[in-house]
Amino acid sequence: MKKILTSPENLKADIRQFYNETQHHFIVMNAVEMGEQMEIQWFFCDYAHPAEMTCFYMQIPPGTLIPTITGVVSSAWVAEAELSDLMNVDIENTEKGFVLEPDSEAGPLRKKK
Amino acid sequence: MSKQYEIPVGAQHISLLEPLHFKFTTENEKIISTAANVYYVHRGIEQACCSKFKFRQVSFVVGRVCGLCSISHTTAYSQVAEKLLNLEIPRRAKYLRMLVIELDRIHSHLLCLIHVSENAGFEALFMKTMQYREFSMELLEAICGNRIQYDFSIVGGVARDLKLPVAHEVVGRLKRFKPELDELMDIFMHNWTLSLKNKGSGKITRETAMRLNVVGPFARAAGLAIDVRNETEDLLPWKEVGFEMITGEDGDVHARNIVRLKEIYVSINIIENIINGLPESELVTETKAFPDGEAVVRLEAPRGELFYYAKGNKTQVLERLKIKAPTFSNIAGMVEGFTGNEYGSVPAIIASYDPCLSCTAR
Repeated sequence: MKKILTSPENLKADIRQFYNETQHHFIVMNAVEMGEQMEIQWFFCDYAHPAEMTCFYMQIPPGTLIPTITGVVSSAWVAEAELSDLMNVDIENTEKGFVLEPDSEAGPLRKKK
Repeated sequence: MSKQYEIPVGAQHISLLEPLHFKFTTENEKIISTAANVYYVHRGIEQACCSKFKFRQVSFVVGRVCGLCSISHTTAYSQVAEKLLNLEIPRRAKYLRMLVIELDRIHSHLLCLIHVSENAGFEALFMKTMQYREFSMELLEAICGNRIQYDFSIVGGVARDLKLPVAHEVVGRLKRFKPELDELMDIFMHNWTLSLKNKGSGKITRETAMRLNVVGPFARAAGLAIDVRNETEDLLPWKEVGFEMITGEDGDVHARNIVRLKEIYVSINIIENIINGLPESELVTETKAFPDGEAVVRLEAPRGELFYYAKGNKTQVLERLKIKAPTFSNIAGMVEGFTGNEYGSVPAIIASYDPCLSCTAR
């Protein structure tokens, strides 16, 4: 798996440069807590060479606003909504409450301190 | 301009026995937009896997993510854990994993067709398909010990061997099932209730499937040739045992039914090939290592691409486990597939999506 470092500032441009909807399959987003930082990941594979996976990732402090990639990958709203709820991260244009009830604990997948 | 109505369907609707909520905006019976929500049953399984259970126990926990594709979850997890451990599993274990996955695919696809029949009001076919499916459940019980939640794949291999009498039983039952499958194919192809009525309903094009990253029979029925069994030779040798990609063209309810039926033929062929060429070896590769680093695995579950991400830290408990179920990938496509259809077609369209929210909400 190829990992490509990106940043909140460069994410949209990086994904736009990489992603071609007839060539790439967007799999899912993920977040991993790494001490004080959080690693956000976007997984893709190639239809022609599916075993070759690409992961864009960025390491950010909690509370950083993550840009949406729905302008490039239109189905990414589902993954963004889920990550926003379960890891309690802030993603541009994403409201909370897609996979959790309104009175649920925020970020149930975050590590308990 | 006609008056618009908002019609809620689910959670727990007569045609959608899943905790998924759709809100349809309709105009003269035609659906002009759809909103979806899945916020009912988050179970915190990923969190439990990274806090309450040791990594070897996790394969039993993720088997509870879903009752229909339990073997896909336990196998995908076992594979991702084996990657973290740098573990090569015995060849016989690989073949047995594929055998159970394909038996599971048969029962899951038949269950989808049961729902399609039921939602079409075709009670007789519903009963008949239910009866035909029973053989797959009985075989799974004979091989794994359970009718559902098999706990068959474990980290390093499989938990049980295939005994010779059971192998003979599998071959015999598949032989008896083939004419029954031919009969189902004939009914789904030619019966008006199921074919003409469903042609053109819930249609998505190949381009839409690509744009929305749809997976599984939902994508393949639209002509998008995406099947993880075609791609992951390093983990399970699907092509050795006769995997064949099935695709449709029309992308509608009828095409999805036919793709599933054709995939059952492929599954039967794979199972027969596995039993004919089952290699002799141990069932488990033992190791005392702890998972380290990060790894991902994709596996073709009955509903499509299942994705596991795991991160280990050289301890008994994983740092992070992420599960992406196939239905999760199909939500965007499902929402789009309703648009432009009559509201009366919704039950048939939902059944043809074969959604599994138990996996999605996990």
